[in-house]
Amino acid sequence: MGMDAARTTGKPKSPGAEGHPAPRPLAAFVRTFLTFLVLALVLGYGWRVTQINVHDLVVNVPRIRPLVRDLLSPDVLERKTEVQTVRTPIYVPCAGGQAPASASAAPGQAYLTLDKPCMEPGQTVRVEGFNFRPSTPGFIRWIPANGAPHTLDRIRTDANGHFAITITAPDVEPASEPHHVEAEVQWGVGLPYPSEALVITVQRMVETVFLALMATFFATIVAVPLSFLAARNVMPRNPVGTFIYYVMRTVFNALRSIEPLILAIVFAVWVGIGPFAGVLALAVHSIAAVGKLYSEAIEDIDPGPIEAITATGANPLQVIVYGMIPQVIPPFISFTIYRWDMNVRSSTIIGMVGGGGIGFILTQWINLFRYRQAGTAVWAIAIVVAIMDYASAKVRERVL
Amino acid sequence: MLVIENLSKVYPGGVQALRDVNLTIKDGEFVVIIGLSGSGKSTLLRCINRLVEPTSGKVLWDGRDITAANPEELRAIRRQIGMVFQQFNLVKRMSVLTNVMAGRLGYVSPWASLLNQFPKAERERAMRCLERVGIADKAHVRADQLSGGQQQRVGIARALMQEPRLVLADEPVASLDPATSHSVLKYLEELNRQEGITVLCSLHFLSLARRYGTRIVALKGGELVFDGLPADIDEKRFKEIYGEDAIEVEVA
Repeated sequence: MGMDAARTTGKPKSPGAEGHPAPRPLAAFVRTFLTFLVLALVLGYGWRVTQINVHDLVVNVPRIRPLVRDLLSPDVLERKTEVQTVRTPIYVPCAGGQAPASASAAPGQAYLTLDKPCMEPGQTVRVEGFNFRPSTPGFIRWIPANGAPHTLDRIRTDANGHFAITITAPDVEPASEPHHVEAEVQWGVGLPYPSEALVITVQRMVETVFLALMATFFATIVAVPLSFLAARNVMPRNPVGTFIYYVMRTVFNALRSIEPLILAIVFAVWVGIGPFAGVLALAVHSIAAVGKLYSEAIEDIDPGPIEAITATGANPLQVIVYGMIPQVIPPFISFTIYRWDMNVRSSTIIGMVGGGGIGFILTQWINLFRYRQAGTAVWAIAIVVAIMDYASAKVRERVL
Repeated sequence: MLVIENLSKVYPGGVQALRDVNLTIKDGEFVVIIGLSGSGKSTLLRCINRLVEPTSGKVLWDGRDITAANPEELRAIRRQIGMVFQQFNLVKRMSVLTNVMAGRLGYVSPWASLLNQFPKAERERAMRCLERVGIADKAHVRADQLSGGQQQRVGIARALMQEPRLVLADEPVASLDPATSHSVLKYLEELNRQEGITVLCSLHFLSLARRYGTRIVALKGGELVFDGLPADIDEKRFKEIYGEDAIEVEVA
């Protein structure tokens, strides 16, 4: 808006237009300046109240890396795993006189060697493993004398089943008992099978699609008759007809302006958290949305065929069936499918406030920091929405 | 015989479309109605089958008062009166055959027709009507796939399906090119000459009116200003009907 004003005032007016002298250059400059000043103040205030912080945006990029990595590697398939675990003792700190644990092992059996038998906290030690399963990833863990084990690093064996890694002894309490360094490699066996997260996601996705379907179905049943009451060419042009027409229009517009999200909160309180609340919320919103579209489709009817069928001596019902319904069926089907498509999209959001479906489980996983599972749900939503979008466009193309 | 007595029509907006029109049409005539746009031609045709309710006056057909008929009687009268429209008024998404069979709705069982079920005899009749206008090969094509001229022939076939004794044609060729106009009007002429169906047809072009009409009536501002033979319309009459500045345009 400010830009427009600046442009119009900045443009030199054609001189000599009668009664409209060109504005003085100074006045034009002041107006342009003031326009930009106001614009700058408005944007500046906006910048402050929305707490825009470019520094954090740039500096905190590493924070989202694990999140994005998990979302991009969704938890979809699982395999049974086998593990190979070997541990060897190490003394922290060195008490003296303690013999290093024997590194010998039976031929062909996996074993670990350390380059020193004991160490002080914070020192490094080189760990080597032999005869492990070749080319297999795994972890190296520290198992304190008393306390919970924790993972130090990832390892991967080479083609000979060997690995070498330098680790730093964690800050541990001194103990006379030995600590242990443990190496574990893992590999999958057998065929992959769907993970639990995938199974839940598919179940909830089906629930979501049907949630949207039921909402659309109820909305259609209610909206079809109501839409005739909101069609100018159907309602008689007497005070009663006009009154009903305006009431219906107002109801549709009012209902449409309430976000399904808010309706979902209301219905979740009313009928409890779950898909039924989502069905109700989407249905109420959809009644208004499709009702308005239906009534506009009815208003767009070509009166010609109705006139022609009437002129053949057909009865009123035949006139409706032959003259009117063929004209409104295609747009009605098109709007209904489009609404279903939109309801699938909305129901993912609805679920987050207690409307059931995939949104509900997605919110739970996010709150539990289970981002790989959340990733599964996010991918499922994206895929289903894309398919619905494509399919509904194709069907609507054919119907119209 | 169709007798129109003191027919007037005032639309709700206050527009007087017809003013005290008196007209008698004998069976078998091909009457062309001419006049400027808005002169009341369409209203006159629609008052005959009561697609438009006349404000006052009577329409008598073989002594029966159409204007006084109750809804059931009116439907029985309407099914004997075929109507052809400027915009063809076909149900675009239905097949040509179904559009033609819709002309039979006043005759067939109402309940079966609601499910789009027509007896075999009616299907055959519809095919014969389509053969009559030369587009039997298009029977199973969707109506909106046809050209304008073809659609109007479907419109004529639909009217034929009613086995009408009277056909009302409201500017049937106004949306068509001159060559197609002639082909469509020839079908109407054929029905008139061969079957003795009375035709009441409004036209824009005087040349077409002269060519096809056995009688011409002219409306101006809702009033009947001329009723006579095609040859009787000279320069003076023409200017009376169409206004002083009008120039006659020929259609090839």
